[in-house]
Amino acid sequence: MNGRATDLVVVGAGPAGAAAAMQAAALGVRTVLLEDEAAAGGQVYRAPATTRDMARSPERRQGDALRAALAGSSVQVEHGQKVWSVSGQYRVDVLGPQGPGHWQAPALIVATGALERVVPFPGWTLPGVVGLAAATILLKAHGMAPGERTLVAGAGPLLAAVAVGIVKAGGKVAAVVDLATPGEWAACLPAMAGRPDLLARGAGWLARLRLAGVPILTGHALAAVAATPDGLRATVQPVDSLGRPIPGGAATSFEVDAVAVGHGLIPSTDVTRLLRVEHWFDPASVTWRPALDAGFRTTRAGVYVAGDGGGVLGVAAAGLQGRLAGLAVALDLGRLSQVQHDARAEKLRRKLARAARFGAAMARMMAPRPGQFAAIPADAIVCRCEDVTRAEIEEAAAEGACEVNQLKAWTRCGMGPCQGRVCGDTAAALLAQFHASDRETTGLFTGRTPLRPLPLDQLTGEYGYADITLPPPAPL
Amino acid sequence: MPQRVDFSFDGVPLTGWAGDNLAAALMQAGTRRLRDSPRAGQARGAFCLMGSCQECIVWVDGARREACRTTLHAGMAIRSGTIADVAV
Amino acid sequence: MTEAFDVAVVGAGVMGATTALHLARAGMRTALIDRGAICREASGVNAGTLTLHMTRAVLIPYAIRGRQLWLDAPDWLGMDAGARATPGLSVAFTPAERDMLEHRAAARRAEGAPIELVTPAQARAIEPGLNGDIIAAAHCALDGHVTAYLTGRAYRRALVAAGATLMEQHPVAGIDRAGGQFAIRVAGQPAVRARRLVLAGGVWLEAMLGWLGLHVPVKCLINQLVVTERMRPVMRSVLGIANGLLSLKQFENGTVLIGGGWQGIGDPARGGVEAIPDNLIGNVRLARAAIPALAEGRVARIWLGLESETADALPMIGPLPGIGDAYVIGCVHSGYTSGPFMGKLLADHILDREPELPLFDPARLVQPQRAATLEKTP
Repeated sequence: MNGRATDLVVVGAGPAGAAAAMQAAALGVRTVLLEDEAAAGGQVYRAPATTRDMARSPERRQGDALRAALAGSSVQVEHGQKVWSVSGQYRVDVLGPQGPGHWQAPALIVATGALERVVPFPGWTLPGVVGLAAATILLKAHGMAPGERTLVAGAGPLLAAVAVGIVKAGGKVAAVVDLATPGEWAACLPAMAGRPDLLARGAGWLARLRLAGVPILTGHALAAVAATPDGLRATVQPVDSLGRPIPGGAATSFEVDAVAVGHGLIPSTDVTRLLRVEHWFDPASVTWRPALDAGFRTTRAGVYVAGDGGGVLGVAAAGLQGRLAGLAVALDLGRLSQVQHDARAEKLRRKLARAARFGAAMARMMAPRPGQFAAIPADAIVCRCEDVTRAEIEEAAAEGACEVNQLKAWTRCGMGPCQGRVCGDTAAALLAQFHASDRETTGLFTGRTPLRPLPLDQLTGEYGYADITLPPPAPL
Repeated sequence: MPQRVDFSFDGVPLTGWAGDNLAAALMQAGTRRLRDSPRAGQARGAFCLMGSCQECIVWVDGARREACRTTLHAGMAIRSGTIADVAV
Repeated sequence: MTEAFDVAVVGAGVMGATTALHLARAGMRTALIDRGAICREASGVNAGTLTLHMTRAVLIPYAIRGRQLWLDAPDWLGMDAGARATPGLSVAFTPAERDMLEHRAAARRAEGAPIELVTPAQARAIEPGLNGDIIAAAHCALDGHVTAYLTGRAYRRALVAAGATLMEQHPVAGIDRAGGQFAIRVAGQPAVRARRLVLAGGVWLEAMLGWLGLHVPVKCLINQLVVTERMRPVMRSVLGIANGLLSLKQFENGTVLIGGGWQGIGDPARGGVEAIPDNLIGNVRLARAAIPALAEGRVARIWLGLESETADALPMIGPLPGIGDAYVIGCVHSGYTSGPFMGKLLADHILDREPELPLFDPARLVQPQRAATLEKTP
């Protein structure tokens, strides 16, 4: 198996990973950037899948600039590489177009971004119901809306972005359903004031939606989606500030063929959990985050996290964090003196503080509300891979399961191919609610290899029996 | 220039843009139900489109692949990712 | 001070849990103590293989009885932990493996395992998913598998019903002996007092025995286990290779578990730390060589299970030398298979009932020089 040595491996070529790689490489650190997708950019700067004409946007321009900068740098970018294991100090195993291979480097920057949280509701498993982040991918990479008539629901700034994207792509938006009230958005304004550009853009989105006649229901939640002969029926209802349905509140139904729904973003901690670095539960964003120092070092020497994987703060912060992590790697590998490092880092840290203030405000807007978990019906599926319902989770809890890994063993919740990425957060929240305990007690699914399921045909390749290196036989 | 190409899902002929990922191409072609879940037997389709949720697993020319992580080429024969004959 | 328990069992794996269950059912006030949750180490994460093909020859009579107990679990344990009887096959791809197969089958047959040599064609009739390239095979009618991850749930229900006191998340820091009782010190909790003590800590037994001043080296194996996502039925047996480096089975839910003792990285202090990628690839290649249709599947998860082994690779089950009312159980090869029987053996001994088969005297394993110095410590 081919294994190649370098100074630094960066996992993920989104805004954080690309910035980190370019920063380190510019300081003489031999850098390999591994990316699963065919082009760099991550989800925000997602590249178009084909050359056909698509709507222009600031993200597209910034993404193209990022890709051009990367192409002009000394970073070795490896596309189509599914990272499936990180071991040793540090061996990064990939499955790429040429089969399995690995990289070896003393430093590793994890820039795997965020996953979308969707708190379950009846019908969330129906085809045609997609995540808000999924909708942005369809819009940016494929120039298409999720359906002809889409209901956009959930929380946070992606709601307006997706709704406007659909309108621009020629689709119809049945309604935008926002958990937050205008008052809650207004309360964010001070934190958003540092980014007048984004504030203006948000205002522009709202104006565009009003112009298109899209109803915006604030203080509402998507209660259920049901399949109809013609498509989907989405039912929404008013909720209070904790996300609890308001008794007697009038439910409204929309006939649609697609639903885009999301309840915020969660740091993707697959790699950091696998490496067993310390994580902490952040009650403000209701997410687990790896513990990081000012140089984005984890509690394990040589492992750094940049971008939303360390805590969701958005794209501007991600790029700055990437540069700071790149500088920290250069310092730690002896390519920069402390003085040189500090001179460069100081300005970046000031910018980051500003970007992070905005990002943290958005993260709070996206944080799930306790009433959302409480409202999950007993027969609703929580674990999509294994079809495990809330009732089954609570049955196990009543029998003594207090922690998510025990729950997993008893119910198969989180044991399927998504490896708990979709259900883990909800399962932990439900256990904590059931036992009146906390998220520290209910814990996190243990990180496991492979980081993504590995097709056996690709992993094993073509081989003969004699090619298998056998350890000594077991004793009789 | 991008090209429209022929492919199929469970034997039904479809067309799509070469270079799109299969999940988007199937959605655009109106095919949303990509598989049934193994335990409850419920219809499932693409959900996260970023290689995380594993809902869009299909058979591509006999190999088990994530539709959202596979690029469409002319002539691809795709089958539903449903796993048959397993118990709860 | 609360009343002392009749017995405290430290270590809530299948050995400790079975011993505790039988003692509780016999009327003893029983505490089962574990630093984590019940059956979440080796007993909950092993491959769940019920096979005589991989059992140490001298342990075969025990394994046969243990296997039957697993299959009868709904009757005596009260819950189906997914135990299923299937045919078991061990196969050979090379002449060297064939020789090993024949030699090992004969040795195990001598200890009572109903293992017979079959032709490749007969093996393929038993297991249609088998690769046509095998050159020899052995068949055992007394094989099968258990869904190991359900073990904790099943035992927990039974223990609660039997009135045992289950102390999960109770890390034991040490054990003192005073006034004819054991005082089991638990971090952040009052000491648990008991008249009898059973140590059942698997790979942690070396440290536990050290609390009592006994030095018994325990080797720790870090077994890598691999499971596929659900797939169509591709096999129906429990399958291995003569060299013991593969164990393969498909559960009713369609997942295929691939084991065989390929090693990962870890130790008793840190547990299983990380999987070795090359060992995954080797193990999975071996699996695909045996059942070619596995190529259709995907590896969903790899994890590590810690297996304990004494200096002579045989169990320690019985009273601890020189310490009255203290017992040990553990280090049983294929211990999951025989666990329900081994725990019953020790419980019978403690209850002054005649055990059905001999115990495994731990005294033989105690290193005398270190034990002598440590016995003086209070």
